[in-house]
Amino acid sequence: MNALKRWLRACFLPLESACEAAFGPRMNPITQLGTLGWFLFWIVTASGIYVYAFFDTGVTQAWQSLEALSRGQWWLGGIMRSLHRYASDALVVVVLLHALREFAMDRMRGNRWFPWVTGVPLVWFLYACGITGYWLVWDRLAQYVAIATSEWLDSIGIFAEPIARNFLDGSHLSGRFFTLMAYIHIALPLAMLLAMWIHIQRHAHARVNPPRALGIGTFAALVALSIAWPAMSQAPANLDTVPSTLGFDWFYLTVYPLLKHTGGRELWAILVGGSVLLTMLPWMPPLRKAPPARVDLANCNGCARCFADCPFGAITMVRRSDGLKFEQEAQVTADMCMSCGICVGACPTATPFRRVGKLSAGIELPAWGVATLRDELVAAAARLTSGPKVVVFGCTHDAGSLALADDSTAVVRLPCVGMLPPPFLDFVLSRGHADGVLISGCAEHDCYERLGDQFTLQRIANQRDPNLRDRVPRDRVAVSWNNPMRRGALRDALARFRAHLGEMQPAAAAKSTGKDAWRAKGRDWAPPLRYAGQLAAYVALAAFVGFLATRPTYAYLAPDEALLKLSFSHAGKPLKPCRRYTPEELARLPFNQRKPTTCERGRWPVTVELDLDGKPLYRGTHEPAGLWDDGPSSAYARFLVPAGRHRLDARLRDDGSKQGFDYTASQVVDLAAGQNFVVDFSAADGGFLFGRAAGGASQRSDP
Amino acid sequence: MTLIQWRDEFRIGIDEVDHEHQELVGLINSLHAALGTERSGDRVEAYLGEIFAEISAHFALEEKVMRARHYDAVAAHKEDHERLLDELRDLMDEQAGGGILDDERFSARLAEWFSGHFRTHDARLHKFLAR
Repeated sequence: MNALKRWLRACFLPLESACEAAFGPRMNPITQLGTLGWFLFWIVTASGIYVYAFFDTGVTQAWQSLEALSRGQWWLGGIMRSLHRYASDALVVVVLLHALREFAMDRMRGNRWFPWVTGVPLVWFLYACGITGYWLVWDRLAQYVAIATSEWLDSIGIFAEPIARNFLDGSHLSGRFFTLMAYIHIALPLAMLLAMWIHIQRHAHARVNPPRALGIGTFAALVALSIAWPAMSQAPANLDTVPSTLGFDWFYLTVYPLLKHTGGRELWAILVGGSVLLTMLPWMPPLRKAPPARVDLANCNGCARCFADCPFGAITMVRRSDGLKFEQEAQVTADMCMSCGICVGACPTATPFRRVGKLSAGIELPAWGVATLRDELVAAAARLTSGPKVVVFGCTHDAGSLALADDSTAVVRLPCVGMLPPPFLDFVLSRGHADGVLISGCAEHDCYERLGDQFTLQRIANQRDPNLRDRVPRDRVAVSWNNPMRRGALRDALARFRAHLGEMQPAAAAKSTGKDAWRAKGRDWAPPLRYAGQLAAYVALAAFVGFLATRPTYAYLAPDEALLKLSFSHAGKPLKPCRRYTPEELARLPFNQRKPTTCERGRWPVTVELDLDGKPLYRGTHEPAGLWDDGPSSAYARFLVPAGRHRLDARLRDDGSKQGFDYTASQVVDLAAGQNFVVDFSAADGGFLFGRAAGGASQRSDP
Repeated sequence: MTLIQWRDEFRIGIDEVDHEHQELVGLINSLHAALGTERSGDRVEAYLGEIFAEISAHFALEEKVMRARHYDAVAAHKEDHERLLDELRDLMDEQAGGGILDDERFSARLAEWFSGHFRTHDARLHKFLAR
């Protein structure tokens, strides 16, 4: 598992660094996958509402109305329709990347299981939305999706009559089916939105909007794709033939071709089993983490700064429990705490200047006390022999700050740099422990503990309490944000910072020169290169989405094959014939239950045999449906056969008390390539039906 | 000797804030008493550091209360908090630099902070909350 994560990180981190160079840390699309997902969801919703206004739910109207929209109103309706499709496809891309990345960066284990576990059903929702959407168009692809989905659902075996029988031939299909599908296609995204909301519940300050420029860029890329390569329907569905070669949306439909090679049940087992496995990933293996934060009431007055800063919502403010006249105290929910220490960094009593008695903050990490932190800092700084001396506060996920320690660099590690209370910076500089402080954390806007980098920057810039006092010279406080692979960048930042400090010496008295922390500059890409990089990223997204949305095509049938379907729904004979009540029996029955005959429940199974050119093609015995075994027996089987002339012999027995077959029929048929040929059975129509389904349009017309 | 005397006019009408004001005065006095006559710069600095932490926490609580009740002069009030903390920090630096804590001067300065800040900012907050 760890090797897999390492390998994935080796893929993601360079990509991230490149994107950061082009987009800047705040807009880095790789760290904004979650917000991009929300944004794409809204694009899909808005464009979907527009398309729905023009959509007709009918067997032929569905295709026609969309065709009219795409051709007659290409300048808006067509773009909306294309946006609806491409944004949905892009959504799959960002959702899968998002999940893969959270896995690779190990941000879903331990107490962070909640977003991961709630994310798994979101993927199911996403796919159900996409598949029902493709269904609605009622073109050749929709026909394939509808039949494949129905057959796949039927393989579970919980439906009394196969759903796929609805699609045996055109005469069966009802417009109501499209109304139903349209409602499902609207209801599923609504449920998905609820699930998305639940997904982010455990994140304080959860962001659901990408930075504006990134949103605009993504939207523009999808609009450009929609204009350049509009999403169109394929030929209208025709149930008498089988779609042989299909333009295929590989984002949503990839599992369908597998159905040709595995059974439906096996595929369900793989997907459900895979989902269960995914759901269990946060505990594989269980995260070994430091004990959760603990509130020290003697130092807590209920100021709620830790509550405001906890990135995981693990702190709540509750009624005071120790009788002091304060209204509230902080309380840690151990099951949600990640032991990042950002709460400690927010606590106003966590100042190293306190030295009467033992130093304890109002909230503390038991394994990483503020007193220990100060002692480590003082001891490490005391070992420095040459200047300019720098104290590095590094986090456990940074680019290897431990390796920086030498005779002019002291390194103090924290779970997250957000744990560092700003008075520590004041302490280091004002008490002469070092000439400068370098804070080394995860990549900017990609803090492992979500918000440590942002809170640190805001505290230094006096935008967030507890703030760094104005007296602390900001050009002696440097920050360097790097993903774990950018060790060189961290070393470089330290070297430049030291050079900068050397130039400043000995102007120790200089007061604050600016509000923000010092950063090594000059290694960024030039603006033209950055914009070119951004453009390349958008073009890559559009090209990837546009291509896989229809290419490569999928050949469902070989050119000289036809599809033969044997399907029927027929009730076997009752196990025992009905008989008349005797007058005595009738007299014993309550008045309202009297009727002339009584029938025992239970029917004979139906046995069917089909031979192709004299060779057995199908042998089956179908049990009656229903809890009392008194429903119809249903069969649904499909065979790919070479096109050409064939002889079909069919036999059926629905009364097990007799020998032989109750119905037999033979037919010679000419199957054209790509033809969908149905063998059905209807006792009312005299037995086997070749080339047409039982109970056609006369019984199931459009309402 | 008692460095600073609690007075009823310090009261602003929010139990927890008043409670902490009193605690603060008590803490300053008791720490001062514990300081005794041994006035190494280091000990005094430690003493002031303790007061600094307590006052920081107290201001944090008061700022929370002000925001929660939509006090209209949060910014000005907070600015005064920062000013007081800065003065205290200056004092700490003086001590760390080997200065000598003059009780009379320090007492006068503390009284000035408290009465000054209480009389203006906290009194205004009191009036606002009493409306």
